[in-house]
Amino acid sequence: MTFKRKGVALAAVAMVGSSAACGGGAAAEDSKTLTVVMWGGSAQEAHVQSYVKPWAEVNGVEILQDQPTDYAKLRAQVESGEVSWGIVEVEPNFSATACEEGLLEKIDTEVVDTSVLDPQFVNECAIPNLQYAFNIAYNTDVFGEDHPTTWEEFFDTEQFPGKRGFWKYVTGGILEAALLADGVPADELYPLDVDRAFEKLDTIKDDIVFYETGDQQVQLLASGEAPLVQAWNGRVFQAAQQGQPVANEFNQHFLSYDQVVIPKGYPNADLAMEWMGHFVTDLQGQAADTRASAYAPVNDKALELLEPEILEELPTSEENAAKRATVIDYDWWAENYDAVSERFNEWLAS
Amino acid sequence: MSSSATTAPDRRAPSRGAEPDPRPAPPGAGSPAPPGKRRRFFLTDGWGALALPIAGYLLVVLIVPLAIVFARSFTDPTLGLGNYAAFFASPIYTDVLVNTFVTAITVTLITLLIGFPYAYLMTIAPPVWRSVLLVVVLVPFWTSLLVRSFALVLLLRDTGAINETLLSLGLISDPITMVRNFTGVLIGMVQVMLPFMVLPLYATMRGIDRRLLQAAEGLGARPAFAFWRVFVPLSAAGVAAGSLLVFIQSLGFYITPALLGGPDDVMLGELIVQQVSTVLNWGFASALAAVLLIVTLVLLAIASRFIDVRRIFWKEQ
Repeated sequence: MTFKRKGVALAAVAMVGSSAACGGGAAAEDSKTLTVVMWGGSAQEAHVQSYVKPWAEVNGVEILQDQPTDYAKLRAQVESGEVSWGIVEVEPNFSATACEEGLLEKIDTEVVDTSVLDPQFVNECAIPNLQYAFNIAYNTDVFGEDHPTTWEEFFDTEQFPGKRGFWKYVTGGILEAALLADGVPADELYPLDVDRAFEKLDTIKDDIVFYETGDQQVQLLASGEAPLVQAWNGRVFQAAQQGQPVANEFNQHFLSYDQVVIPKGYPNADLAMEWMGHFVTDLQGQAADTRASAYAPVNDKALELLEPEILEELPTSEENAAKRATVIDYDWWAENYDAVSERFNEWLAS
Repeated sequence: MSSSATTAPDRRAPSRGAEPDPRPAPPGAGSPAPPGKRRRFFLTDGWGALALPIAGYLLVVLIVPLAIVFARSFTDPTLGLGNYAAFFASPIYTDVLVNTFVTAITVTLITLLIGFPYAYLMTIAPPVWRSVLLVVVLVPFWTSLLVRSFALVLLLRDTGAINETLLSLGLISDPITMVRNFTGVLIGMVQVMLPFMVLPLYATMRGIDRRLLQAAEGLGARPAFAFWRVFVPLSAAGVAAGSLLVFIQSLGFYITPALLGGPDDVMLGELIVQQVSTVLNWGFASALAAVLLIVTLVLLAIASRFIDVRRIFWKEQ
């Protein structure tokens, strides 16, 4: 819950002051520089190499990087008027709240053609940059073909004994999974019945192991400590490619996505907006990123460029999209995050 | 702890209260004043000026930010005691506060139990072995906290090296849960904190004149009795200094409990980070930090009734 995503946030917490090295964006107002901030690690490398660097080379822009995204730093920069972060990868519930508070630049639809994107992933201040799933992942040494394929089975510790891994972060799909397991129809999930979700979670609380980072998630799963994990499909796919005994089940997956935003007052905001305009139709770049990071592209046309064995592992391929439970409703989460996250902490501690 | 650098120019050497300080001036406080004459204020002394840069530095990086944090806890988002009311309204925060102190105290006691004999061994070991013991205790300083915590998870988990070995030897039939619970937190934190206990203990013990023990035995005390009545009391300053260092630092932990603890082993530091970075509720985060600081200071004040805090830091060998 404290640490965000993709395994690197913790490392960055340990490396206090890493961002101080990257204050160059604001100082270099006149030159064409753009500072890109994402969740870090190999994923950030893949994103930047695939769809930021090629654009920058053509346009003579110097790309600076920082990591990972830190909402507190973003807010502090905007409030102090010293904005050095240009493109920032965020979670959709943050972009909704921050947009309302005036912390973000509005998207200029003259420059960024948002009509090529799924409108539910776009808001006034943000466009999506990738899609992924919160799905059932299983250890293939422990469970073969008869692994759980629904959340109801995932919660059935008698038929499928073993620990369950969940992300210790309340918007990570844990409540949604509990409600589906308890028989709530997928199209009636939101607004979430929080009480009911926690009651359902109580039934398996002793069997739950929480993970904080993507690395831990794969560790739990691959070691068999938690042979079933509510996972991020890309992480599991990468581990499977490296020969670890793990696999994704896409039935009843929840689709999630990340967005990119421009902090209010960034000196090179126009340049950042230009990049966004290029990105939404950069099919080659998005496809290249998917090959490198296993996150799904946001322009569906990019799917046509991808190989069948990669499509098999994407939540947005035609076959897997049909198995989807629902898209995480980040508008609901934006409104309810504070209260539900406090409730989650209470439940964890009780 | 020592507020001497920021107090108004007191004519006496750095004494924190109004009561006269019967002890000699601390090291570095200038030339000892002749008896009966008032000592000069140490900052106006030529050597004392060396302390000014650090005093200025602390003012900028510690005192001012702390003041801002306190102010913010009363003003953000609205003026008043709302943040503190919210703290006490929900059992989670008081539970976590209690858990934070219970964890810190337990860690302190365990490191003391392990560290005391270890430091004693260092004082009686031959020089080569003393260096080996010193290196062993210092290794944690040289490796990343994060790396060590992850490594401990690999070692201690149900399918980890220790459990696999015990299982394959047939010594146990079910894995012993040593991680993602309070045990995991203790193992992880004690391991990190041990140098902070051992080094002050060793420094104090090294200065104890071992002939005092011989004298006690010469007067008829058994070795154990002499050790307990002579050596242990003389090492009290080291015990107090080490315990204080470990206790205070333990209060601020959050990475280790987050990685090695279970869901109910949350410490206040983790909630503060969450409020700062995820919820962006800086007023409430400030209130959490203020409560932790105030409770810590109150506990120290109570402790200083029984332990002479000044003596720990200024003790002259």
